[in-house]
Amino acid sequence: MTTEVSQANVAATEVGQAVVLQTDGLTKIYRSLFTPSGVKAVDGLSLAIRDGETYSVVGPNGSGKTTTLKILLGLIFPTSGTATIFGKDISDLSVRERIGFLPEDAYLYDCFNGEELLDFYAGLFGYPKKRRKELTDELLTLVGMQENRKVPFRECSKGMRQRLALAQALVNDPDLLILDEPTSGLDPAGRHQMTRLILEMKRRGKTILLCSHFLAEVEEVCDRVGIMYRGRLVAEGTLRELAGEPTELVVETSGLPEPAAEQIARQEGVLNVEAGVVRMEKASEAQLWSVLQAVHDAGGQIVEVKRPRPTLQDVFVRAIREEAQ
Amino acid sequence: MNALAGRLILIAGVIVVGAIIAITRRSWAPALGHAFPSIWRIAKITVSEARRRRVIQAVIILVVLLLASMTFFSYLSPQEQARMLISGGLAAIVVFGILLAIFIAAFMIPSEIENRTIYAILSKPVRRFEFVLGKYVGAMIVLGVIVGIMTVVLVGVLVLQDHLVQDLPDSVFNPNLGPVVLAAVLSYFALAVLTALIVLISTVASTTMTVISAFIIWALGSLQETIHDLATNATGAARLLLLVIYNVVPKLENFDIRHEVSNFMSISIASVWQAVLHGILYIIVVLALASVFFSDRQV
Repeated sequence: MTTEVSQANVAATEVGQAVVLQTDGLTKIYRSLFTPSGVKAVDGLSLAIRDGETYSVVGPNGSGKTTTLKILLGLIFPTSGTATIFGKDISDLSVRERIGFLPEDAYLYDCFNGEELLDFYAGLFGYPKKRRKELTDELLTLVGMQENRKVPFRECSKGMRQRLALAQALVNDPDLLILDEPTSGLDPAGRHQMTRLILEMKRRGKTILLCSHFLAEVEEVCDRVGIMYRGRLVAEGTLRELAGEPTELVVETSGLPEPAAEQIARQEGVLNVEAGVVRMEKASEAQLWSVLQAVHDAGGQIVEVKRPRPTLQDVFVRAIREEAQ
Repeated sequence: MNALAGRLILIAGVIVVGAIIAITRRSWAPALGHAFPSIWRIAKITVSEARRRRVIQAVIILVVLLLASMTFFSYLSPQEQARMLISGGLAAIVVFGILLAIFIAAFMIPSEIENRTIYAILSKPVRRFEFVLGKYVGAMIVLGVIVGIMTVVLVGVLVLQDHLVQDLPDSVFNPNLGPVVLAAVLSYFALAVLTALIVLISTVASTTMTVISAFIIWALGSLQETIHDLATNATGAARLLLLVIYNVVPKLENFDIRHEVSNFMSISIASVWQAVLHGILYIIVVLALASVFFSDRQV
């Protein structure tokens, strides 16, 4: 898996696309009185994200995803290693003029409404009043908050808060969008809406770095995925690269008598037969034909034969399990 | 002689500050010029936030009612009444001003970190010192408005009382308005110094620690002469500790001319200027330290 990581990094530069974000051996150790040797939150992280790419960092809680984002945004400082964005060190203030950040759980001033909040955040970029007003209108429309523009943040639903938080991340029309758990705590409708907005940002050519627990969302929007575990990047690549070639074969049948199912389950290459579904692992063509023949002979019908590709969930679980071992 | 010494110190102080500004301006002027809009935006949102806090609104209404109710002390002689109104009114401005300063300043930065609202700000092109200065300026605007309201009400009460008693025989009511306003302005300077120190502490400590430290500093700052006397008589480590406290903690007593004003005594303008100049220098140093500490803080 670690070989894949370095190969993917090399590929990022080989294809000739500009690298927008790069980290090299980024490490963060939290030390305290009780842990003098420290706790490694991020451990030698090396990443390269290309221009226009949507890259997702996934990992279980405490794997170092949010710590990484906080380092990139200058909120905390790395113990060692370097990080550059747009070719400049992350401590360079001009870098933040081209970044938009959506924090996890949308922490914005709760006594202000959407209009006031966006005006404030746009003001931090030095925009004049007229431009701020235009931006506020545009962004509230984009995130579907035009009608609720006067609702104080504390009275907004979770979905409305997330959309406002996304809007504040877009006030400077950023080239790099950093999203920390953008769909966390949202209901399915809210999640769908947020995913749609992320896809819209992707369509507009923005480079996106996304941290998420929702693997289905990651699968839907991301070009490449990095899996973090205990502060380290344990796997990285496109979903196809990470999943590898499918090895499982599934034969869905109907009307398969129980004795025949038991007999098929004993055939070579068959993993199991459950509710008329025959699962085969690394099956040869001959083994497949043999199963199909047995189904036919027993009076059953073949409904579908498919080779399902492993989902990100499968890849994720496999990577974490391998790393834990 | 004292007045002359005071004037000389003031002139020397102004020359030193002017020279430092002139010599160093090339290094900080461009950055400050760029920083000003961010500082102002953060100050404005701090003011808007404070304006919507019910606690602050309630305290202002309470103080205004308290000051207005002082017109009912009509059983005293006019002169005693004037003394009572001035002394009580200025005390209310100082006490409530300090309580509000602690309440506003101690929670400002720690609550931004605890509520994580700081993430969306510091991820924008905002320097750490701009955030600290913006917060400080915002707090001082809020405190300025509050002290201003309280002063206007106190002056109104004194003018009203003057009007009510002027027809009485042997009336010697002296509202002493000029010195009263001066005392209120000096109280504001004391708040500015205290607020700067609270901001400095809040850049490294939690909200609870900041509040406790603020009350201790207020107490120590108001007892500087006593601390000096104790240091003179003490020996060893105790003397050293008392001298450190005496020299580091701001001398809030220097901003307090309530006794002179309520007893219609003359006020040394040179002392006032000394206190103001000392306060400004103290604020500059403390805010510079706060910016340095906060620039290394992990949020």
